[in-house]
Amino acid sequence: MNAQIIGQMAVSGALMGLVYALIAYGFQLTFATSKSINFGQGELVMISAFFSLTLTNLGFPYWAMVPGGLLFGALMGLVVERAGVRLALEQKSEGWILLSIIIGLFFFSAAENIWGRDDRPFPTPISADPIHILGVDVTRLELSVAVGVFAIMGLIELFKRRTLLGKAFEAVSADRDAAELMGISSTRTVMLSYGLSGSVAALAGILVSPITTVGPTMASALILKAFSVAVVAGLDSGFGVVLVGMFLGALESLASFYLGSGWREAPGLILLILALALRPNGVFGKATIRKV
Amino acid sequence: MLQVEDLHAGYGASEVLTGTTLTVKQGTLVALIGANGAGKTTTMRAISGGLKPSRGKVLLDGQEVQGLDASRIARLGLAHSPEGRKVFGPLSVEDNLLLGAYSRLPRFFGYHAQAKDDLDRVYDLFPRLRDRTRQSAGTLSGGEQQMLAIGRALMARPKVMLLDEPSMGLAPVIVQEVFRTIRRLKEEGITLLLVEQFAKSALEVADYAYVMERGRIAVEGTPAELGRNERVLAAYLG
Repeated sequence: MNAQIIGQMAVSGALMGLVYALIAYGFQLTFATSKSINFGQGELVMISAFFSLTLTNLGFPYWAMVPGGLLFGALMGLVVERAGVRLALEQKSEGWILLSIIIGLFFFSAAENIWGRDDRPFPTPISADPIHILGVDVTRLELSVAVGVFAIMGLIELFKRRTLLGKAFEAVSADRDAAELMGISSTRTVMLSYGLSGSVAALAGILVSPITTVGPTMASALILKAFSVAVVAGLDSGFGVVLVGMFLGALESLASFYLGSGWREAPGLILLILALALRPNGVFGKATIRKV
Repeated sequence: MLQVEDLHAGYGASEVLTGTTLTVKQGTLVALIGANGAGKTTTMRAISGGLKPSRGKVLLDGQEVQGLDASRIARLGLAHSPEGRKVFGPLSVEDNLLLGAYSRLPRFFGYHAQAKDDLDRVYDLFPRLRDRTRQSAGTLSGGEQQMLAIGRALMARPKVMLLDEPSMGLAPVIVQEVFRTIRRLKEEGITLLLVEQFAKSALEVADYAYVMERGRIAVEGTPAELGRNERVLAAYLG
């Protein structure tokens, strides 16, 4: 048990954990406006990563590929909203759960047919050579995950606080009917949240793929942990998902180092069960009081 | 300015409004009174689009608006300050007011400067809100939240304003303040449709009034006329 190794494992795990946090943040965005989440979010991450890989292979430089990937993610988010979620919400039903899963499966088959079943490397100009910071080695690639995650979350939070459209987003989250009375279209706001959530998912794919490779099945590992993070942190705290995501990432990396790689999935599931048993509203979540 | 003709609406199979007809002329204050469950709030919701009417017409400034989305009707110039106030609790007082003017402000930047005159007007009307611009609306007292809800509706510079139960759940002193405010709005020439439990106070400020019973208008007239109507006197003004 060497303190330096523990530190090293914890830091690189925590950086990976930020990817879970980012996907969980995507859940929060749509849950805020519509009380629905996209259960096919993992497939959105995957298909956007494949699309970005294609852009790269077509010769687009990294800095042109990223916005292209984000735009594609936003479009796919809108597809999920229009083809699945809206139909269910208009009926005031919970059908969005199944519909979003089905659209996810559709994305999965589409990806297998278009890009094949194999995992592929995702080229990036960001170097994977370690640099030494405060006694631990981190690669620029890992740091780019942190930069990307904080940049997009920071931008979206700024948008929500500083622009009138963002305040309208918050108003719909607080009281949909009252927001409608102000002339704010809740339908459009829900669309906006799905678009943002889609581009957040795309960025998660672009950031994680150079480290893990891209493949049709990359979604399942990511999404389970993103769910754990969202459930543990609650669906209304952006700050919470970052902390829980980093914590889970660190825990995972330590578990697989000390207990063997088979234990890698264990911390996420244990956290999920504990959270559901002890704090169903999330560690950072506010208690939701339902008025009857 | 606002005309409602033979409006039918309800929740699911149960019809609450069974043919409501009323008119609010420009610059007048019209009161809608009646017992609990008579359909006053349902009328308001069916006018502003929160509830889709199954039959009948709603004309705003001559234009048919029944069946449109609430947000669309709001953009056409109808402001509805709903029952229970419904301020945006997590947002600041000023953000609540700015959102009241949402339909005519730029979406990204510069909205504050453009709304400055309207904000000043609301703060002059409700000085207590000026001291609390940064405070989140959910932490205000009931009376302050009501002021905020009225101010938010005013920010839209509406053609017609619907005020639903502004005195609900407030202390008697605050209720008097609310009615003073309503009187001021009337003096400013704002066209108002007011729903009130306190029928007596409502009739004191109104130009014209409708009494609702079981989903339709039972009696209508000027406050003076209603004051002479024995049935109304016995049921609502006793």
